[in-house]
Amino acid sequence: MGALTFIFLPYLCTAVFLLGIGMKVFFWIRTPVPLRIVTTPAPRTRMGVTWRLIGDLLWFPNLFKADKLLWASGVLSHICLWFVLLRQLRYFLYPVPTWVEGIQTLGLYAGYIIPLPVAFLLARRLVINQVLYISILGDYFALFLLLTITVSGILLQLFFRTYVIDVKALILGLIYFQPKILNVHWLFTLHFISVMILLVYFPFSKLLHAGGFLLSPMHNQRASFRERLVNPWDFPVAYNDQNIFSPEKYRQALMEQKGEKE
Amino acid sequence: MRVPVPIPEIKIGASKHQRCHPAKAKDMVKINLPKERVENWKEAMLKKMAEVLDKYRSVRLFMDICVKCGACADKCQFFLGTGDPKNMPVARADLFRKVYRRYFTLGGKAFGFITEAEELDERMLQDWFTYFYQCSECRRCSIFCPYGIDTAEITMAAREIMAAAGIATKYVTEVVAKVYDTGNNLGIWPKAWKHTCSFLEEDLKEIEGVDIKFPVDEVGAEVLLVPPSADNFVNTDTMIGYAKMFHAAGISWTTSTYCNEAGNFGLFLNYANLKQTNNRILEAARQLKVKKIYWGE
Repeated sequence: MGALTFIFLPYLCTAVFLLGIGMKVFFWIRTPVPLRIVTTPAPRTRMGVTWRLIGDLLWFPNLFKADKLLWASGVLSHICLWFVLLRQLRYFLYPVPTWVEGIQTLGLYAGYIIPLPVAFLLARRLVINQVLYISILGDYFALFLLLTITVSGILLQLFFRTYVIDVKALILGLIYFQPKILNVHWLFTLHFISVMILLVYFPFSKLLHAGGFLLSPMHNQRASFRERLVNPWDFPVAYNDQNIFSPEKYRQALMEQKGEKE
Repeated sequence: MRVPVPIPEIKIGASKHQRCHPAKAKDMVKINLPKERVENWKEAMLKKMAEVLDKYRSVRLFMDICVKCGACADKCQFFLGTGDPKNMPVARADLFRKVYRRYFTLGGKAFGFITEAEELDERMLQDWFTYFYQCSECRRCSIFCPYGIDTAEITMAAREIMAAAGIATKYVTEVVAKVYDTGNNLGIWPKAWKHTCSFLEEDLKEIEGVDIKFPVDEVGAEVLLVPPSADNFVNTDTMIGYAKMFHAAGISWTTSTYCNEAGNFGLFLNYANLKQTNNRILEAARQLKVKKIYWGE
């Protein structure tokens, strides 16, 4: 059982995660962008586009325009998630870089905060009628998964302290292909398995929004209409007999008007 | 002062009965579409759907990355007006997304109950026809979406798919067919267009007492004017304004009977007709050998 959970599962899930994301991104990039459809107000330079994407990444300006509470909980949960992820790099790197050591405390408190916005997002789905209507099982599942991971993480930090050296040995063992089997508290196993489920669920669900927005043609195009955008699958115009007003007829009409004959 | 619009309670099926008339066979044939709903419409639509997903990155991406945050839900004027939940941009796009998940994703094929994948059946098609023709493609929702998901792109894709199976509305197809007959959306025949222009000349003579020309089909003019829809029909004062401006500036100009209106209803139907309708402008410019195109709308 231990071998299944701590050796087989992580390798499988990581492989599915990486392959799944790779495939999706490959399909996105392979698909052409035929037209310029950027949303106004749009930047005119590449630098402007970079700033726009950085803005999208950090403070969700569109969401701010739409709904302030949603924006606040969205920004809070995402920023905290980043800090927690960066903080946990200490389990993956040896020796631990100084900057990772530097954000340990910040990351810890960020971890305590996460369940609040996530719970708010969940409540919002249940309370607001329009959002309840559009929510599908997958939306609740993602939120429950995040709640399970964060709450079990907090409990592990506060009450059921795991021996951190063991955890690090486990993860480094996986990274360097010398896996070890641990004897740990069941809460850690829950935390670990939920993360594995998240990894598998990620590429096949809406959680992939993380990888998608950089490619969104509404945001990553420039408003430089003087440059021609080539449409790779363009085709010639097809006239048929029923198209009474074909260019040939127009040419003839112009000729007759000038008293010429073809 | 900005007064917030009250957000309506959702009323399921509130605008279900507000539907467009189906297209007429004679118009469909003219604009290179099947003359009625084809026998194997489901296969035809799925084939076109696969094609559209491979042609537009926007559509493929928007199918995958929507997180259903609901930011767009109360931003669509059609939802604010009717309260029908399927008029929320996210729910409208979901009509497309459910079918996409069912036929094009692993998650939808294997775990349909989690992702709400649905078959493309008669009921779904009726919903498509009703709600994708209740979108005006204004793109307001894309301003509020954190990823810029543009429901107009999805609406256009859905209409393109339906058109490929011979399903379209009378209003749009009739106008596009009219453009191919007469060069404008209103169905003004070339002779009538010439007469209208000479009437405007007379009007102008009465008002200003100067001979100002309204040239039609003049080969070799400098500018081809393609006025917006309303100008040659309703707001003739604007049309007269153009003539005065060109006269004062001393620019030789012309209108064309092949293309005397800029409005493009192909946008509401499919890419081929969008392109063909716009191509008239280039064709007219080439044949009249003009140097510039002034293009309203």
